[in-house]
Amino acid sequence: MTAYPPVPFADELLPALEAMNAAPQPPLTEESLPHTREGADRMFPSAAELVAGRAVEAEERVIPGPAGSPELEITIFRPTGHAAASTPLPALVNYHGGGMIVGHRSWEHGRVVDLVESLGVVGVNVEYRLAPEHPYPAGVEDNYAAFVWTAEHAAELGVDPERIVVMGGSAGGGFAAAVALMARDRKGPALAGQLLICPMLDNTNSTVGSYQYDGIGTWQRELNLLAWRMVLGAELAGSTAAPAYAAPSRAADLSGLAPAFIEVGAAEMFRDEDVDYASRIWATGGQAELHVWGGAFHGFDMYAPDTELTRAALASRDSWLRRVLGL
Amino acid sequence: MTTDAAPTPVPYDPALEPGLAAFLELVERIPLRGDTILANRAHFATIIPPIEAQIGELPLEFEHRRVPGPAGSPEIEVTIIRPRERAEAAPGVLGIHGGGLVLGTRFFGTPELIELALRYGTVGVAVEYRLAPEHPGPAAVEDCYAALEWFAAHAAELGVDPERIIVSGASAGGGLSAGVSLLARERGGPRLAGQLLNCPMLDDRNETVSSRQYDGIGAWDRNNNDTAWTAVLGDRRFGDDVSPAVAPARAAELGGLPPAHLEVGAAEVFRDETVAYASRIWAAGGQAELHVWAGAYHGFSGFSPEAIVSRAANEARDSWLRRTLGVEPSP
Repeated sequence: MTAYPPVPFADELLPALEAMNAAPQPPLTEESLPHTREGADRMFPSAAELVAGRAVEAEERVIPGPAGSPELEITIFRPTGHAAASTPLPALVNYHGGGMIVGHRSWEHGRVVDLVESLGVVGVNVEYRLAPEHPYPAGVEDNYAAFVWTAEHAAELGVDPERIVVMGGSAGGGFAAAVALMARDRKGPALAGQLLICPMLDNTNSTVGSYQYDGIGTWQRELNLLAWRMVLGAELAGSTAAPAYAAPSRAADLSGLAPAFIEVGAAEMFRDEDVDYASRIWATGGQAELHVWGGAFHGFDMYAPDTELTRAALASRDSWLRRVLGL
Repeated sequence: MTTDAAPTPVPYDPALEPGLAAFLELVERIPLRGDTILANRAHFATIIPPIEAQIGELPLEFEHRRVPGPAGSPEIEVTIIRPRERAEAAPGVLGIHGGGLVLGTRFFGTPELIELALRYGTVGVAVEYRLAPEHPGPAAVEDCYAALEWFAAHAAELGVDPERIIVSGASAGGGLSAGVSLLARERGGPRLAGQLLNCPMLDDRNETVSSRQYDGIGAWDRNNNDTAWTAVLGDRRFGDDVSPAVAPARAAELGGLPPAHLEVGAAEVFRDETVAYASRIWAAGGQAELHVWAGAYHGFSGFSPEAIVSRAANEARDSWLRRTLGVEPSP
């Protein structure tokens, strides 16, 4: 009996988990990282393949990075025929997951294209630099630069600059939260909302939830420890002195932020840090919506798309986006 | 009253403002204070439609019964609501009405049982529990628990699957549902398939951030809540020996409970105590689902049913019912 019995996984999610366990990946370590990343950009369909036959267009662009840093690749998705002269649409700027150490934007083209198609918005999917080669603040500055670029090119993109939402899952959710903090602090462009899906916010790995999913589930405690070490270095990895733009839970002040949507599984290690983040926003009088799905593991909507839980979670996201974007 | 300035409240979703105004005008015309409880109760009685009017031409039937109360206490009135077309082994819902433990009748909670009977063919039992201050805690929760025992023991007669009985309620009814679940665990009582806690009233201490953010504003504000808990607990309030069955936030341990669905507005007194209750269930390895709706006031989904956020809240609750009871909505 462990000191922290985990919340069990929902029955309908078990087949997805069993399928993953049946084909175990080699353990992710600093040494295995290059191998793990090999072919990451070809694991999922390309933007062109994804939009084929759908009323969505994809465009690959290279945009300036943060001052003194390399350029960034982004993929822009828009409803077919949408142009600068069209009625401006809201925009979603997406940051992919992968613990800030693995992944590629194409992993989440599907999530972005689905939203572009169903809501009639413009999607911008961002390629940012990964740790440990590019530790903090490389990734978050890339992501902030992509948000600012989108706002500054709103007219060209046919985007309403007052209706830009940043979003992401897991590490991408942490980045979206950090970009919202930076937009506030730097008096950057208007931000209409932050859509945080099971966001990675807290570098201390100190919550009950972070101990409950030690050795079980999808994103596990060991991986999280490794990821934060790569992003922050050994000294700051678990420290409360870590910078807020790396680990948004470290922000002393959560007032004055863009409205937040925070979604997480009840059976995953980010549960408590995400609930805490929402609670701290409310305590300042800020707007946040929180959904903690029963028995859901980290990334359940990606791994188990054809389930009642995933359908319900997507419906809640959709509802919030319609509310904050006036759709 | 505290002398500190109240913390800045989370603002309301503009789409909910008309519903909130209507709620305040209809339900909370008279501020709830110790000396206005009876006046409020009389007013409350005028706004609850009789069960005949609630059911109208719907393909449902209702039946009033008297069932045994807790040991040494009077009998309890219950109303059974079910589809006219009887099924075997239907899911069961013990419905517990709201009203701050001081107001309301079981017919304040029957709209939910009607909706569920139509949608999922459930058999609902609405329980008339005793109100404070005439009947302080734990009278109400003991009445509700007695009704659950009766319901479970008569499941076969009622055409109910005893493995699929949930307890459900809003506001005070949510707190009582949590309390009934705690009693069932403690006493080895009927096995509940779930507890549906809608904006539940869980904590007599009234000391969270959200309980201070809604002081003099919104539906069921800090002062109403204060009045109600004092009526329920009197001098025992705030003490160390408050029964968890009466104020479930006081339970030392929240493991081993039926799966919980908790929902609450981000802009109401009960927000933080509801989040804390869910968090403590998870910490014990228990099943809970939590939804905190942006800019939403106490009771928003019932009083602003057309708002986008209310529709989303109703859909999320519905999804949990489907997952928990294994039911599909009727076409």
